[in-house]
Amino acid sequence: MTTLPIDNTFDDPAQRAPLVLNHHDFGTVTEKICSVNEARRAPRAWYVAFVISLGFLGIFGAMIMYLFATGVGVWGNQNPVMWGFPIINFVFWVGIGHAGTLISAILFLFRQRWRTGINRFAEAMTIFAVICAGTFPGIHIGRVWVFYWMFPIPNQMEMWPQFRSPLVWDVFAIGTYFTVSLLFWYTGMVPDLATFRDRARTKIQAIIYGILALGWRGSVRHWHRYERAYLLLAALATPLVLSVHSVVSFDFAVAQLPGWHTTIFPPYFVAGAIFSGFAMVMTLAIPARQLWGLKDFITLRHLENMTKIILVTGSMVGYAYSMEFFIAWYSGSMYESFAMLNRAFGQYAWAYWIMVTCNVLVPQVFWFRAARQSIPIMFTACLLVNLGMWFERFVIVVTSLAQDYLPSSWAYFTPTWVDLLTLAGSFGLFMTLFLLFCRYLPIIAIAEIKHTMPEALPHGHGAAHRQEPTA
Amino acid sequence: MTTTERCNENRQLGDLAARAVVFIALPGALLVALGILMTFKSDLTWERFLRGYVAAFCFVLTICLGGLFFTILQHLSRAGWSVAVRRVAEALAANLRWIWILFIPIAIGMYKTHLYEWTHVPPDDELLGNKEIFLNPTFWMIRAAFYFAVWGGLAHFFLRNSIAQDADGDPKTTLRMARVAAPAMIVYALTQSFAVIDWVMSLEPKWFSTMFGVYFFAASCFGFLATLILVCYLLQRSGRVTESITAEHYQDMGKFLFAFGVVFWAYIAYSQYMLIWYADIPEETTWFIVRQLGGWRGLSILLILGHFVGPFLLLLSRHPKRWTNVLPAICVWMLFIHFIDMYWLVLPEYPAELVASVSTYPQLIEAFENGIDPATGIPWLARYDMHPHLADACCLLGLAGIVLGLTGLSVRNASLIPIGDPRLPESLAFENF
Repeated sequence: MTTLPIDNTFDDPAQRAPLVLNHHDFGTVTEKICSVNEARRAPRAWYVAFVISLGFLGIFGAMIMYLFATGVGVWGNQNPVMWGFPIINFVFWVGIGHAGTLISAILFLFRQRWRTGINRFAEAMTIFAVICAGTFPGIHIGRVWVFYWMFPIPNQMEMWPQFRSPLVWDVFAIGTYFTVSLLFWYTGMVPDLATFRDRARTKIQAIIYGILALGWRGSVRHWHRYERAYLLLAALATPLVLSVHSVVSFDFAVAQLPGWHTTIFPPYFVAGAIFSGFAMVMTLAIPARQLWGLKDFITLRHLENMTKIILVTGSMVGYAYSMEFFIAWYSGSMYESFAMLNRAFGQYAWAYWIMVTCNVLVPQVFWFRAARQSIPIMFTACLLVNLGMWFERFVIVVTSLAQDYLPSSWAYFTPTWVDLLTLAGSFGLFMTLFLLFCRYLPIIAIAEIKHTMPEALPHGHGAAHRQEPTA
Repeated sequence: MTTTERCNENRQLGDLAARAVVFIALPGALLVALGILMTFKSDLTWERFLRGYVAAFCFVLTICLGGLFFTILQHLSRAGWSVAVRRVAEALAANLRWIWILFIPIAIGMYKTHLYEWTHVPPDDELLGNKEIFLNPTFWMIRAAFYFAVWGGLAHFFLRNSIAQDADGDPKTTLRMARVAAPAMIVYALTQSFAVIDWVMSLEPKWFSTMFGVYFFAASCFGFLATLILVCYLLQRSGRVTESITAEHYQDMGKFLFAFGVVFWAYIAYSQYMLIWYADIPEETTWFIVRQLGGWRGLSILLILGHFVGPFLLLLSRHPKRWTNVLPAICVWMLFIHFIDMYWLVLPEYPAELVASVSTYPQLIEAFENGIDPATGIPWLARYDMHPHLADACCLLGLAGIVLGLTGLSVRNASLIPIGDPRLPESLAFENF
């Protein structure tokens, strides 16, 4: 361990950039990452954020209570915009929930070793985002006391969900995705949980982490099984990354509504989901690395790589926008052309141009290295992308419904205060879970990040094989 | 560069390049000529001949475009594993510099025949009339020239720089190619999508699908990766690059083929079909209806089984991807089925009058199989069913021969692997684990 550079953003094709900076060895990596959880008190900012998040969570609960007590009339949903905020928020949160599994599964299969710095909390974020997403269809159904009708449970009334409806496919797609993401997250965490168990200072910690660690001893046999399970889960999760948002896009695309029915929707939704998911990962990663001093593990290079992925997926989204527009004209169908022109110049033009600005124009700054390496610029850009992707779903859901084939039923959708507070409250749920995770679980994959260090390589340099990876 | 020098393998094409021209490209050209001759001598119409020619052209074009995409992608992602096989991709892509010559018959066909319906729009056809700003011969030709110029320019840039790096090993060349790769990918995506709208989708000028460009892209990954594996295998069989390209590289190429060519293709194909089938809007279902009738139906089912199910099962496990005796055989099948895919895209013609004369789907099937066109007295089957012709095979084998035979020329004096690439040692030492 002699001359690791502090700056790893260099471009030298003959050499792969180091992913852990500042002369860390296996021991100090463990120390540093565990210190996030082992500190007796969390940083003050954590408490402030936690209190605010709890407040919003309370608002979320209150809004849901009010909804249950009163009915869906408290929302702005009405004819013809029957799908208002709940579906927009649902699609928004599912989209956020795509980055985690992309990072853990697809980047794993592509051997992108830098994923190890960010995969753990991206996966956690995925799970919390899916929980937020799942809430919305659940509370949208009106008669919440029969929510189980969404599932195909054998019953004496012989009543089944409509299997030809993509809304039922959603139940399966999201359910599968949540299950596999959770398994993936948990499997990857087992060696680190064992580390926590071994370092536990109280009896309760030792028992809880001990149970969660499943008797992990770090033997070669354990590692062998673990690596195999991880690879299999990655292979299984990869098609899920594509399938979930494809099925969500089917909710719209199987309809005959102009602006909803277009064949590019599945890959376009997937690209958009990854786009928004990465923006959210960065929105969380940037403060987290600052707060807990994790800049040696989530380096500037990691952030730069993520900005590049945002640029790539943003370009795919831009491609889809343009292709939709072009084909709407090329099709010669007046309804298609109207739907597109109406989006851009009609009553919701403001939403459309927020979407285009945030999703297509803003990511273009990442063509410049200076922007890819500037924390304030990338943080602002990511916030704007999050905003833009919410508005993308708003544009898709609302503009197409508000003005469809029948001008006599056209209307302008306006959200109510309950809509707005429920949306804000869902961030409370998300952030509360995320902050708890940061406090009680390993937020960086300790065992995995060691794989990327020179000591872990066969014929590695410096102090090779100094310690067991789980030490 | 110690790893690079350790091997004593043959890395030059040598006289194989010249031999390929004589024994592969020349017979290929003769086959195309034979196909043209056949059309003169038989009752085959020029439109029908050209449809087969367009399918064959798409077959070779997708392979070369796939090569360009693969090259750009490797630079963009700074990939290490693929360096040993990248020169083959660069050489295949370099065909894009002259492939416009093979496009000339299509251009002539567009002007002189009824190959593209939009070239002779009846005055009362408002729908096609409105598209004339985009679908008119002059603009169409300008666009085609633009696509070929862009592809040729990009392919030339990557090959030239890569060969220049062989001599000096300058890492700055790698950085320059990586910088160009990012905008190149965007240009590639747009030109490829619009080219396929122009040349394939506009064969049925009233039909439209936003997914079509992506479908063609997935198909080009399929065709190219199968070719890449096959060319690497043939080079090794001829005693070249025997040590640099290992089972590890075959496995990774196989993974790519599995992911992009097989699964991604199926995902796109399924999404496009399912959404159109489900919404069931008459102006969109046209394209698939004819592909569900008569012989086309069989071809559609063959595509599901032979383009997805079979390759999926064959390539799922790691072993076939590493058995260098089995993998090329799978790839030969894949190239065949890739041509079937192109044939399926290009050949079927929508029987508009027939569909207009019936009111239900069962009636349509019945009329298609047994009915007669009242206007001409010819059975519908004779005009709209699948009728493969020997000329189609001539076009396919001919164009494939010309392209494969001339591929070697662009690297005849260069090494078969990019020996100057700074990431070559990484690629040579690469292992899957």
